[in-house]
Amino acid sequence: MAAQGAQPVAPLTSSQPRGGGRRLGGFIGKYGFILPTVGVILALSIYPLIYSLTLAFCSWQLTRIGGGRTFVGLANFIALMSDGRFWFSLKTTLIFVVVSVGVQYVIGLVMALILASEIRGRKFLRVLLLIPMMLTPVAIGYMWRMILNSTRGPANHFLTLVGLKPLEWLTSSDIALPSIILVDIWQWTPFFIVTLLAGIQSLPQDPYEAATIDGATGWQLFWYVTFPMLLPVSVTVIFLRAIEAFKVFDKIFVLTGGGPGMATESSTFYIYTLAFRHFNLGYASAAAYILLILIVFASTVLLNRIRRQMDVT
Amino acid sequence: MSRHAKSRNRLGSLLMYLVLIAWTAFTVFPLYWTVITSVKTPLAVNEGPFYFPFIDFKPTLDAWVGIFTREFSGDMVTRPFGNSVVVGLTSAVLAVILGSLAAYGLTRFTYRLGKIGNKDIAFWILSQRMLPPIATVIPLFIVFKTLRILDTRISLILAYTMFNLPFSVWLMRDFFASLPREVEECALVDGCTPFQVFYRIALPLSTPGLVATFIFCLIFAWNEFLFALVLTFSKGQTMPLLIAGQNFQRGPQWWDISAMALLTIFPVLLLALLVERYIVRGLTLGAVKE
Repeated sequence: MAAQGAQPVAPLTSSQPRGGGRRLGGFIGKYGFILPTVGVILALSIYPLIYSLTLAFCSWQLTRIGGGRTFVGLANFIALMSDGRFWFSLKTTLIFVVVSVGVQYVIGLVMALILASEIRGRKFLRVLLLIPMMLTPVAIGYMWRMILNSTRGPANHFLTLVGLKPLEWLTSSDIALPSIILVDIWQWTPFFIVTLLAGIQSLPQDPYEAATIDGATGWQLFWYVTFPMLLPVSVTVIFLRAIEAFKVFDKIFVLTGGGPGMATESSTFYIYTLAFRHFNLGYASAAAYILLILIVFASTVLLNRIRRQMDVT
Repeated sequence: MSRHAKSRNRLGSLLMYLVLIAWTAFTVFPLYWTVITSVKTPLAVNEGPFYFPFIDFKPTLDAWVGIFTREFSGDMVTRPFGNSVVVGLTSAVLAVILGSLAAYGLTRFTYRLGKIGNKDIAFWILSQRMLPPIATVIPLFIVFKTLRILDTRISLILAYTMFNLPFSVWLMRDFFASLPREVEECALVDGCTPFQVFYRIALPLSTPGLVATFIFCLIFAWNEFLFALVLTFSKGQTMPLLIAGQNFQRGPQWWDISAMALLTIFPVLLLALLVERYIVRGLTLGAVKE
């Protein structure tokens, strides 16, 4: 707007109280607040990432005796291009993310709408229903391994009670991935319930009043008022959850160990296997970098959204 | 018309309660199953699913006594539990100290480095949270191996401090931004240094935020698995690693595993209830407000 007018004002603002802190504390004072954090990030995140970027261009097999690092250029990345197992793991991860987050959103929205209405004990229910998402994933994995156990587990017992055939929940290559998705739905639907409930409760009331006066039915209220107004929050929480889901590891480790065969192997799981079972550190680093780039891409979209929202408020 | 609408309404709310009950049952059942399995005898587990203690089977505390008196993977359960406590508390304290300093700086001063401003720094810090841990854990494994700190609490404390730092900065930033500035500005005029203002005024005023952030960091560290799996293997292992490492040479010892799982989730359950009020803010990094 009035960019030229703003220029001469700038020095004035910096001598106001806000800038006074800077003067009193001096240069070190001001930077003393953020430098420790920046230092830790540089030492424990950026440096390791640069290090593994160099590894990605090397061949380094820890198991080979005297096997040092040798520079191989793009060989790791070229090999990855034709590594069917890597792409299959990426496909498995994507299916997991899309199905899991999709179902969680739908159930979460339904539950949030129910909990937003006048229901007895809804405060208690809110607390009760959010429990799964805070629990240790490894412990959750074992809980469900017991439940899905094909001979002693209650899941198959229920199926036979209602006249259905028992399933090989974790050992059949068709059902193992859906089973893992089921466990993820159990754990993370609560995230959508509480966030969407918060979103619904902070919506303005005026559009509802206007729509009700115009004679809108309950379904119309949802589809034309609640859902569109909830969309920004929805997209943000879906992104947040999807990025986390993309890194899935512990549930798979406990429930199926990536099997049967490779049916439930996520990308993180495959890279873990490459690095710490085959000790093929160079190749694993290259694969990790491809995963990193994909996640950076998705999180840039998310961060830009959050940033825009912040600029508005 | 009103009669029709009423009956439709009644049907609607019946459906609503059915969905609510079904989902609540689905949420609670695995927890219930784990609790009753932890008080089952091996026989009661192996004979097929039994659901009601005292009716279906006779409960016993054998598994609970067992996990505290026997060794698992060559270790008493107290050691991994102690590791989890020490690693969790230390890394959470460090993350909160560093994080609140940075958050205070980012909300109170202007930093400029060419085109980079406060917001860019804040988002750069937040972006660290999004990175896939598998990408950092490989180089950290090599670095920690060189430093000879693999399988120690220190390695996990470092890893979890880093892991929780972006979260801590981001959440504390949210809390500091909502504090009134007047008191702080008066204190500055009276000759306090910015650090004194931070320490004596801003921190005490944001105690609830500080506690909530600390508890979230503790929960994340307590639940973490991938770093623990790669960076520790025996002496330094944490509870999740102990549970995951139960090998079933004689078939799954479900009663023991259930007791261990409950021992692991009980502390986080308590902590989660304490921060229940902040859960939306915490888990969406302040992107969704209540």
